[in-house]
Amino acid sequence: MPTNLASGAEYATVGQKRWVWPGFALPGVLWLILLFLVPFYAVFAIAMGQLDPILQRATPEWNPFYWDLTVIGEAFAELFGGQLGVIALRTLAYVFVASLICVLVGYPVAYFVSRRAGRWRWLWLLLILAPFWINYLMRMMSWVNLLSPDGQVNRWLTTIASWFSIDFVPPDWLAGNHVVVILGLVYGYIPFFILPLFAALDRIDEATLEASRDLGASSAQTFWRVTWPLSRNGVLGGLVIIMLPMFGDYYTPNLLSGSPRTRMYGNTIDQFINQTTSGGAVGAALTIILMIFIAGLMVYYLRSISRASQEARE
Amino acid sequence: MAYHPRENWIPQNRRRVYTRRDFVQRAALLGIALPVLPSLLAACGDREGQESAELAIGTPASPVQQPLFDDNPAIESGLEPEAGPLLLYNWEDYLNPETIPLAAEALGVDIQVTTFVNEEEALARLSSGEVQFDVWFPTSQRVPVAVAASLIQPLNHDYLSNLQANVWPQLADPYYDQGSRYTVPYVTYTTGIGWRIDLADSADIEGQANPWDVFWNEKYSGVIGMLDSFTDVIPVALFHNGVADPSQATEAELVAAGDALVELIDLVDIRYRIDGSYAGLPEGRYAIHQAWSGDLVNSQYFWPGGEDEGTTRYVWPAKSEGSTTKGAISSDTMTVLKGSERPVLAHAFLNYMLDEANALKNFEYVGYQPPQNGLTSEYLISEEWLLPHLAPALVAPEDFELDSAWVQGPLDAATEAAWVEQWNRANSGG
Repeated sequence: MPTNLASGAEYATVGQKRWVWPGFALPGVLWLILLFLVPFYAVFAIAMGQLDPILQRATPEWNPFYWDLTVIGEAFAELFGGQLGVIALRTLAYVFVASLICVLVGYPVAYFVSRRAGRWRWLWLLLILAPFWINYLMRMMSWVNLLSPDGQVNRWLTTIASWFSIDFVPPDWLAGNHVVVILGLVYGYIPFFILPLFAALDRIDEATLEASRDLGASSAQTFWRVTWPLSRNGVLGGLVIIMLPMFGDYYTPNLLSGSPRTRMYGNTIDQFINQTTSGGAVGAALTIILMIFIAGLMVYYLRSISRASQEARE
Repeated sequence: MAYHPRENWIPQNRRRVYTRRDFVQRAALLGIALPVLPSLLAACGDREGQESAELAIGTPASPVQQPLFDDNPAIESGLEPEAGPLLLYNWEDYLNPETIPLAAEALGVDIQVTTFVNEEEALARLSSGEVQFDVWFPTSQRVPVAVAASLIQPLNHDYLSNLQANVWPQLADPYYDQGSRYTVPYVTYTTGIGWRIDLADSADIEGQANPWDVFWNEKYSGVIGMLDSFTDVIPVALFHNGVADPSQATEAELVAAGDALVELIDLVDIRYRIDGSYAGLPEGRYAIHQAWSGDLVNSQYFWPGGEDEGTTRYVWPAKSEGSTTKGAISSDTMTVLKGSERPVLAHAFLNYMLDEANALKNFEYVGYQPPQNGLTSEYLISEEWLLPHLAPALVAPEDFELDSAWVQGPLDAATEAAWVEQWNRANSGG
């Protein structure tokens, strides 16, 4: 039965191939299970676990049959109508405004670098990448120095005011100022927005733009009808990258303000986990609520991406 | 018990002008906030095995003895110290780095220090049982819990000759652990008010019947702050409202305290900072800030020009002239962990740290004061360990006996939740 043998051998190679390529995903899958799924499960186990009677600490409950939904229910109640609602709304507003500024500032920058920077493109890219070399906290701390009441910014402003003999009272930038916190968020995250957007803009085939112009479109029309639709996923991708960490951010308002006026959602999670003995479960519940919200955003992003790639195929 | 002076710790010999270590630590903590992976490896919790325990919580007025358990005996007398290395579990930068090699040399073993960022983390790791250390440095508030949970072992005083010889009698036989059954004292501190005489009027604080009221003085709008720690802030609001013992505050009193804190947002533009006293005052960011006494001792190293300009003051409202209110006082301890494999060596280390010269060496770096008979404020100032204007930041032995000294016990979960609720109100303002 030589034919059967041959097909058997064929199967063997096919079988091999079937395992070889997915095998490449194995490290990533293991990584995800160990460092994402397991901790994620632990957050659930703590949010719905019990209180250790002696230590008064939240202890994880690994068996889902014993999960207790009280804490997570209370956290939801706090969010809709409680103190937490104010903080959550403020966080939403901060992230929304900061993201909007990132788009308004970041898009032209990315556009310029990808289309107009010419032979200096590498330099512009380098300058955009430079902030990545310095730790986020370090950069924020330098702002704290610059913006403190007797810091450089106020010294310069006072000097300039004295030239024009203006009576100038230097403002206290770090005194719970919404604008400072939002600009802090923009400053911290904008490179992460520009880079993926740059990549998206850079991928746009020059020929499509030329075709648009050849067919009589003005440069504004070309931008709105060709460049913008083709870069929209880059904008969305950049927004996802910056919005997710912004929602959980707590050290930016901590460093740049410290006032109750500017507390963000992340500060509340931090407080329950790091300042309280028994509040670990509440912190975990708040984390889960934030994750659910962020998952909603992610679903929207993934849907628009897949829709776009479908359209591209059609 | 939530925040502890150590959590914002910046060692003295790193005289950085602008330090925000606390936030770095907290950011780092984000990564390890939920100590889940180790717990996962531990066996799943036994649901039946959990029973509530009575905690022996003492105050200076009614001291308690911690219970002894048959399955947790002290070591025998006359044993030879084990071989090293000795493993310490401590707050970050809570030991003079020079003390470690000196102690290692004196004890003839290697010493390794592992640090924790806050006591929640320490308790989580110790109670999971997956870590092995010999000596742990808990706050006195944690002692009842540590005893009830059998985390620490009773001490054999035969190995601790320096305890009775050198330590203040008030803490050699302390209210939280009568007879020092499980602990020896490490350092001590009060919670009070720090201010700058060039930026604030001392008369608004000193000589007042209730110095805590200064936080509601709108004159200091924008330049006044409190510690970012609800266990320190809620009592201030309660004292401001005339509550005698914050631990016993009723629901209505807590709500009133929350109201008073909400009022601060618009009244004085209050800010909550962990570094507000030791760094914020020297830098001029604040005219007045709530402070732990040890932080004020350390503020002398945080002046932007490097030189303390002598304008910082501290008062512990429990001891302020004319004051009728109270103030918190506390201390930290050294303990031998139950699971220690080197208990004799651990006892030897405790005794080493209770030696006056060694305690002073450690104070030189840590800044928080060891309760040593020989290290009086006169001595510390004359030997230039402390600038004279910061003398009120030192604790005196008899401070623990004042009627106005308030000792905070551990909060049970329900009380803690009630406090946090008011703290959240205070923190979600306009």
